[in-house]
Amino acid sequence: MITYVIRRLIWAIPFLFAASLVAFALITLPPGDYVTTMAQTLAESGDQVDQARLAALRARYGLDQPLIVQYFMWIGGVLQGDFGMSFEWNQPVADLIWERLGLSFILEFSTLIFAWGVALPIGVYSAVRKYSVGDYVASVLGFLGLALPNFLIALVLMYIAVVHFGTDVTGLFSPQYRDAPWSWAKFTNLLAHLWIPVIILGTSTTASLIRIMRANLLDELSKPYVVTARAKGLSEWKLILKYPVRLALNPFVSTIGWAFPQLISGAVITAYVLSLPTAGPLMLQALLAQDMYLAGAFILLLCCFSIVGMLISDILLALVDPRIRFR
Amino acid sequence: MNKFTTALMGGALACSMFVVGVHAQEFNEAPEFDTQVAAGELPPVEERLPDQPEVVTPLREIGTYGGTLRFGLRGSSDHNHILRLVGPQGLVRWDPVFSGVVPNLAESYEVNDNATEFTFRLRSGLKWSDGEPFTVEDVLFNVNDLLLNQDFAPTPPRYTADGQPMSVEKIDDLTVRFTFPAPAGSFLYDLAMPLGQHPVLYAKHYCSQFHPGYNDDVETLVTQSGVGDWQSLFRQQCGDIEIPARWGNPDRPTMDPWIISSPYTGGATQVTLVRNPYFWQVDTEGNQLPYIDELSADVAQDVESLILAVIGGNIDLGLRHIDSISNRPVLAENQERGNYRMFAANPGGGQYMTIDLNLTHKDPELRELFDQKDFRIALSLGMDRQEIIDTVLLGQSEPWQLGDFPGSPYYNEQLSTQYLEHDPDRANELLDTLGYERGSDGIRTLPSGRKISFQIDVIPTNTPDHVDILGLIEAQWREIGVEMKVNPLERSFFFDRITVANAHDAAVWPNNGGALVNYPTKLVPLHQDSRWGIAWMQWYTTQGESGEEPPEDINERLDLWEQIRATAVPAEREALYAELNQRAADAFEVLGVAKSITTYGIANKDLVNVPDEMPNSWEWPTPAPTLLQTWFYKTN
Repeated sequence: MITYVIRRLIWAIPFLFAASLVAFALITLPPGDYVTTMAQTLAESGDQVDQARLAALRARYGLDQPLIVQYFMWIGGVLQGDFGMSFEWNQPVADLIWERLGLSFILEFSTLIFAWGVALPIGVYSAVRKYSVGDYVASVLGFLGLALPNFLIALVLMYIAVVHFGTDVTGLFSPQYRDAPWSWAKFTNLLAHLWIPVIILGTSTTASLIRIMRANLLDELSKPYVVTARAKGLSEWKLILKYPVRLALNPFVSTIGWAFPQLISGAVITAYVLSLPTAGPLMLQALLAQDMYLAGAFILLLCCFSIVGMLISDILLALVDPRIRFR
Repeated sequence: MNKFTTALMGGALACSMFVVGVHAQEFNEAPEFDTQVAAGELPPVEERLPDQPEVVTPLREIGTYGGTLRFGLRGSSDHNHILRLVGPQGLVRWDPVFSGVVPNLAESYEVNDNATEFTFRLRSGLKWSDGEPFTVEDVLFNVNDLLLNQDFAPTPPRYTADGQPMSVEKIDDLTVRFTFPAPAGSFLYDLAMPLGQHPVLYAKHYCSQFHPGYNDDVETLVTQSGVGDWQSLFRQQCGDIEIPARWGNPDRPTMDPWIISSPYTGGATQVTLVRNPYFWQVDTEGNQLPYIDELSADVAQDVESLILAVIGGNIDLGLRHIDSISNRPVLAENQERGNYRMFAANPGGGQYMTIDLNLTHKDPELRELFDQKDFRIALSLGMDRQEIIDTVLLGQSEPWQLGDFPGSPYYNEQLSTQYLEHDPDRANELLDTLGYERGSDGIRTLPSGRKISFQIDVIPTNTPDHVDILGLIEAQWREIGVEMKVNPLERSFFFDRITVANAHDAAVWPNNGGALVNYPTKLVPLHQDSRWGIAWMQWYTTQGESGEEPPEDINERLDLWEQIRATAVPAEREALYAELNQRAADAFEVLGVAKSITTYGIANKDLVNVPDEMPNSWEWPTPAPTLLQTWFYKTN
C-alpha cells in the first residue's frame, strides 16, 4: 500500500505541472489584463481611472511581459512557497486563501455530515420499505432536491426571510463577531448561522445519495446471500446493516474524493448569493477581476485537492470493501 | 488677483469672520470622546480642532451625535464607494451644488492672472487623524517625493502644463505655492476632484517610513513584507487615491471625517469606519463633526442581495449599484417596508447613449459615406427617439443630441436639439438626393453596388439597455434603407478593436455630461471616448507621431480646446466654449439619442440634512460634497 501511495504521489507531479500551465493559460486567455479589467469595472460604476497610473501599474505587475515569462515568474515563486501578491488587494495571496479556506472546510465538512446523516437512514428505509408511503415521500423530496438548483433555493429563502420575517440569512456570523477573534461565543454564533447554508448546499447531495443508496441496496437485497442469512435466522436489521448496506456504501466513500476540491469550487454561486466568507466567491472574484496570482493559486490548490481527495477515497474504498485491491 | 478668485476669496473671508464669532464659545464633541478626554486618553476638543475650524452650516438643522450609517459594499472593485462617502479631503472641494470650488484643507487661495501660480494658505493647527500636525511639509513631501518622483509613478497630466510638471515652494509655515510653466486654467477644478487629492494624500510622519529618501532601511521592510519593491510597499501601506489598499490599513493617518477601523481587504465581510477625533470641521453651534458615529458596510457579492438588504431596511444610504432603471419600481414600492425615502441624482449633462460613426474609417468607401453631413442628418431623422425612450427607458428621458442641459452656461440650443424629430420622409429624401438607390431588398446601395450596411459595436454587460435601443434603431433605419447590425462585444475586445486598432464602423457609449469638468470628447477628438475620430485623437495625443492629421476645422477646435484649458476666468472660458459648441453643432459629427437620466438613491427616513436631489457624477463624487458629516439621525 505504501508503494501504491508513493507511486500515485510521484505521478501527481507532472500532472500538477501540466495543470498549472493550463490554469495559467486559461486565466490569461480572456483579452485584457487585471489593469484593463479594473478600469472597466470602475467605469461601470461611473468612476474614472488615472491613465498614467494604469500604465505604471501594468509595468510594475509585469503584465507587459510575454505570457511565458509571466508564467515562470509566477511558478518560480510558487515553488519557493511564495504565491505572490494579489493585484487587487496588495496582500499576500497565501493570507487571503488560508483565511477563507478554514471556513470553507467547516462548511464543507458540516454539509457532508448532514448529507450522509440524512441520506443514509432514508436511503436504507426507502430500499427496505420499497413502495411504501415513506418511500414515496422520500423519493418526491429527493427528486425535488435534485431538480432545484441550490442557488435558487438560497434566493427564495433569502427573500422569504427578509420580506416575511425581517431577518437576514446571509453570511456566517452576526456583525459583532465578524472581526472578533475566535471564542466560544463566536463558535456558537457560527453554529447558529451555519445550518442554513448547510441545508441549502446539502439538498442536492442528500437527494442524490438517497437515490444511489436506495438503488444499490435494492440490487443487493435480492441476492442469494441475503436469503441465506435470513434463512439462518439473523435478525432483519442486523442482517441489512451488516452485509448489503456495507456494500452499498461504496458510492458514499467515493464522495469523499469529490469533497476535497469542493472546498474551493463547491457551490460558488450559492456562496456568492449568500455572501458566505468561503473560498468560492473569492475565487470567482479573482477570476472575474483577472487577479492572476490569486486566481492561479486557487486553481492550483483545486488541482492539489482533487489529487489528494481521489487518493484518500481510493484508499478508503479499499479499506471498506475487501474486494478492491491496490495495484 | 482676477475676478474669479476674488469672488471665491470673498466667500472664504466671510467664512473666517464667522469663525471668530464661534471661537469665543465652547466647542462640543461626541459623548464617546468626552469619556476619553475625562480618562486622559484624548486631548480636549479645543486642542484637537484647528485654531479656526471650518464652520459648516448644515443643510436643514443642527444635529445630534450618534448612530451608524449602513451602506452596501461589493466584494471587488468597490473601493471608490468608500471614497464617495468620506469624500476626497483635498486643498479645495466642490460646493454642494457643483457650481464651483470652495476652500477645504486650505483656508484660502489665490490664483495669478494668467493661471500659472496657485497659492494656498492652510488652516492653522490642522491635525491628522492620529493627532500629528498637518503642515506645509506634508504638501512638499507629497508633491516632491511622490507626485513628481518618476521613480514612484508617472506624474498625472493634471499636474503638468505644456508637457512640463508644476513645481512647489514653501512661502511660510502655512503657505504653499504651485507654479506651472504654462497656464493651467482648470487646476482648481482638478484639485477638487477625487483624483486631485494627491498633494495632500499622505501623512509625511507616517508614510515617509516606506520611502527610501527618508528611511535608509526601507529594504528590510520590503523584504519582510514580501512585496518586491518600495513602491509596492508604499502603496500597500499608504494606498493611493483609487486602490483598495487605501482602505486596508487602519494605522494610516487621514484628514477624513471617518477613519477605517475594519479594513476593506480581500477576505473582508464587513467594513467599518469610525469617527475621526481630530476632524477639523464644526457646525454653527461649535459641535465637532461628524454627527454620525460609524459608517458600516456588509460586503455582499451580489447586487441582488444588496437590493434585498435595501428592501429589508438594512441599508441607510444607497445609490451606487442599485440605481438602474429596472430596479426603480422595486425600490419605490418598498419605501415603507424598508423605512427609506428616495433622493434624485441628476446628471449635469450628457447622453444616455451616443452613436459615434467612425469618421476616420480605414475603409475609404464607408469613410466617404459617413463623412457626408447629409447622411448623418438622415440617420438622425430616421431615429424615432420617443419610441426608444418610451419602450426602453420607461419614458424617463427626452430626445437630445449633445451638450449641457439648459441652465448651464455651456448650453447651446442648436448643438443639443437639431435634427431630433422623427422624419423618415425627409431622411429618405436626403438619401435619394445623395444618390443612394434602393436595391431589391429595400436597402440602399453605394455607387460601387455595395449595400449600405455597417455594424455598431456595443458592450452588453456595461449598459444592457444599449443593446435594446440599438435593436429598435436597427428596425427604424431599415425603413430609410440603411442596414445596421448590432455587434455586441466583450469589453476588452471593444477597447482593442476601437481604441487600439480603429477597426470599428461605429460604436455607442454613454456620455458623461457637465462641461465644468468634463472633456468635451464628442466635440473635439481628445480621448479614447472620441470614437468618431480615433485616428485624429491619436495624432493629437502623440503630437503628430501616429494617427492622421485632422482636417482644418478639427485642428482649429483642438486649438480652441487648448485655449480653454489655459483659461481660468469663467467668462472667458464660456466665450471660448460657446465657439467650440457652435463649430461642433455646425459640423454635426456625433448622434445623440437621449439625455442622461436622473437616477434615484435611497436614504433612511430618519436621516436629516440629506438633500432631496444632488448632482450625480464622478468628478463631484456623489454624494460626498453634500457633506455626510452633517447628516444625522432624528428619532422621534
